[in-house]
Amino acid sequence: MNNLILKIDLSKEESKTEELREDLIEQYLGGRGIGVRLLCDNLAKGVDPLDPANLLIFAIGPLTGTVVPTSGRFALVTKSPLTNTIMHSNSGGFWGVGLKRCGFDVLYITGRLKRRGYVVIDGPNAEIRDAEALWGLSTEETLEKMKELEGNCQVLSIGPAGENLVRIAAIMNQAQRAFGRGGVGAVMGSKGLKAIVVKNGTKKFQSNLEQIKKVNQVATDKIKVFPVTSQGLPLFGTAVLIKVINAFGMLPVNNNQMAYIADGRIDEISGESLRQRFLEREEGCYACPIRCGRLTNTGEMRGKGPEFESLWALGPQCGIFDLKIITHANYACNKLGIDTISAGCTIACAMELQQRGLLEDSAMKFGNADILCDLIRKIAYKEAIGEYLAEGALRLAERFHGAEYAMQVKGLEIPAYDPRGAMGQALNFATSNRGACHLTGYLVGMELLGVPKLIDRFSLVKSDLLALKQNQSAAEDSLVVCKFVGFALGLDYQVRFLHLVTGQDYTIDKLVEIGERIYTLERLFNIREGFSRKDDTLPERFLKEPLQEGPSKDCVVPLDKLLEDYYHIRRWDENGVPTDEILQKLNLERLS
Amino acid sequence: MVIDKATFKEFQIVGKVLTDHMYNTSHSGNISMKSGGKMLIKRRGAMLGFLEPEDIIETDLYQQDSGIMLSSTETEVHRQIYLQTDAMAVIHAHNPFCVILSLIEDEITCIDAEGCYLYKRIPVIEVENPAGPTDAAREVPKILKKYPIVVVRTHGVFAKGNSLIDALQYVTGAEQSAMMRYYTLLLGKPLKRDLSQEKHFSEW
Repeated sequence: MNNLILKIDLSKEESKTEELREDLIEQYLGGRGIGVRLLCDNLAKGVDPLDPANLLIFAIGPLTGTVVPTSGRFALVTKSPLTNTIMHSNSGGFWGVGLKRCGFDVLYITGRLKRRGYVVIDGPNAEIRDAEALWGLSTEETLEKMKELEGNCQVLSIGPAGENLVRIAAIMNQAQRAFGRGGVGAVMGSKGLKAIVVKNGTKKFQSNLEQIKKVNQVATDKIKVFPVTSQGLPLFGTAVLIKVINAFGMLPVNNNQMAYIADGRIDEISGESLRQRFLEREEGCYACPIRCGRLTNTGEMRGKGPEFESLWALGPQCGIFDLKIITHANYACNKLGIDTISAGCTIACAMELQQRGLLEDSAMKFGNADILCDLIRKIAYKEAIGEYLAEGALRLAERFHGAEYAMQVKGLEIPAYDPRGAMGQALNFATSNRGACHLTGYLVGMELLGVPKLIDRFSLVKSDLLALKQNQSAAEDSLVVCKFVGFALGLDYQVRFLHLVTGQDYTIDKLVEIGERIYTLERLFNIREGFSRKDDTLPERFLKEPLQEGPSKDCVVPLDKLLEDYYHIRRWDENGVPTDEILQKLNLERLS
Repeated sequence: MVIDKATFKEFQIVGKVLTDHMYNTSHSGNISMKSGGKMLIKRRGAMLGFLEPEDIIETDLYQQDSGIMLSSTETEVHRQIYLQTDAMAVIHAHNPFCVILSLIEDEITCIDAEGCYLYKRIPVIEVENPAGPTDAAREVPKILKKYPIVVVRTHGVFAKGNSLIDALQYVTGAEQSAMMRYYTLLLGKPLKRDLSQEKHFSEW
């Protein structure tokens, strides 16, 4: 680590550096952990996420930018305008490595620019430059302009959606990867900040390089022999999961009214089909041997993706099975800077509202692929129905008196796994601190994919395991490494790497405890903002309406039982509030 | 469920025998069948002795597909065996006596009548990374073109058959022959009759 925070106050157009305290690194590692701690310490209760006082905190971890597999990742923490919860997100690519090489571990942004601008971090120096001419450009155009103006650089930017404060706007990384969830693009837009550029970093991190390379070789060999990381993801990208999740009757269709596609439509949108029809080349992030990224070309357009979740959300969730249109819709989201999961799920919600007679729009029908790309454009510019879609599924559904048709938790739309087919994942959706997130304790790995070991997906004894996975995941997000490397490598590898990189003694237990501290602190943030047990739930559909067909037929989620066990194991009281006992153990205090 | 009940029952029987006879640990080993341009194979992480219909994964025989996300880690070895030999079914097991003898011998020479009838000699091969599928996928099919079963040194056996039950016979028979040879070697006494020295054996 560099032990340095770069603080930028946009209102004052000032930047300064501050030392990153050793005790923070010791207790929170980096990445998500450091970001969460800084947000909790510096953001007052009840601040509107689009207020200048909200913080945008980008943080790298101790492994970022090393030779450790998948160590190109970095984290973002802020308060979400979609959910009003704490929001953490992480992204790959090369930007985080660039920030670290410039000498910083954290970029801490507050305030609002008087004139629209962008930030350039040029080695150890930071500067705010005028972006009036960039405002309105797509993320692709912004990237090109930045390259023209700044030379060889890495760029985070928002598109028109972020500028227009769309609550499902993303921050795009090099115009292709995304800090997708929770409307973080709107936070950046609210600050008048179009882009953040890093360039010319020269710092190198090579302590124990020879020993790290030896462990790295063992780790890479393991990644290369494990079929998920050596064949499934590299060959087909994350879209490989389309047929896999469908095989378990868990691929939501028509806003989760179904979760199984029995006919050939599934082949039309599969990872195999994407590879065969549109794949131009595979791409990887910094230090990644897996290379799950897809550069695709439909013959009419060229771009990145779609990833599994995007393909599903813009596809089957809306009843759409035209791969070309789905791919074009995905490109549109990337260019306009919109979260694909939230976009697809919000459109699907609108389609069900129309189906139920609550929204009058005859074109808004499941399966109507013709309207998809236009709807995405309308979301970005808040035009016509897009004004309501831009608010996300929950606000949309509430407006049209059909809140039960919003497939969300705490306001965040549920990703591509129907909760009725895997009880642990269902509990994860219900309890995740940032709303329905599949990644905060990815039990799909064990419940469906058999990694690291297969467990019964319908078993209700999942609470302990989920809490452990959520804690581990928080630690991984603080290192920061990719979730996919976890398919092949356990935390024991990360402990070895961490020891070699930092020289500090770490154990798996210590990492898990750090993860638990981060997770619990996020919970305290949400409690301070008014969240409680009532928010740790799922849409009624998953609790009361059994699926009618497929391998998860007749299943619902008995959430109360799962939740009671979960609170108990976390040492939270019956309302989901962490007890004094656990706070003391984790060296935490309640937030005021 | 991707297979009919009768076929699933065959998977169950074979899986149970392999586990009950301790040819595998609770989770190791994998079994597959060829089926209409596809391969039906045990799910990764599923327990061979307690297979459920959801534990049988269908994947393409001729090319990689999304089945790789769920199917056994050694799927590629099975695929190459089907593509390069006459196999209709394949079993991979960790037969203890076969593995023990593979550590000290370059082939398992059968000295019992049943073994001589079925195999005469069981080849042993060595690959650089015996636990991963890549090296085994390259080397194992070459041997199974000529033999029904092969031992990968330090790891276990791959056997082919016309059906899973047929392949099972090769796996269990090889283990029995290996066990007899192992105990006979332990005794350290000369054999009263050595079938491996009799006519035709050396031509095999």
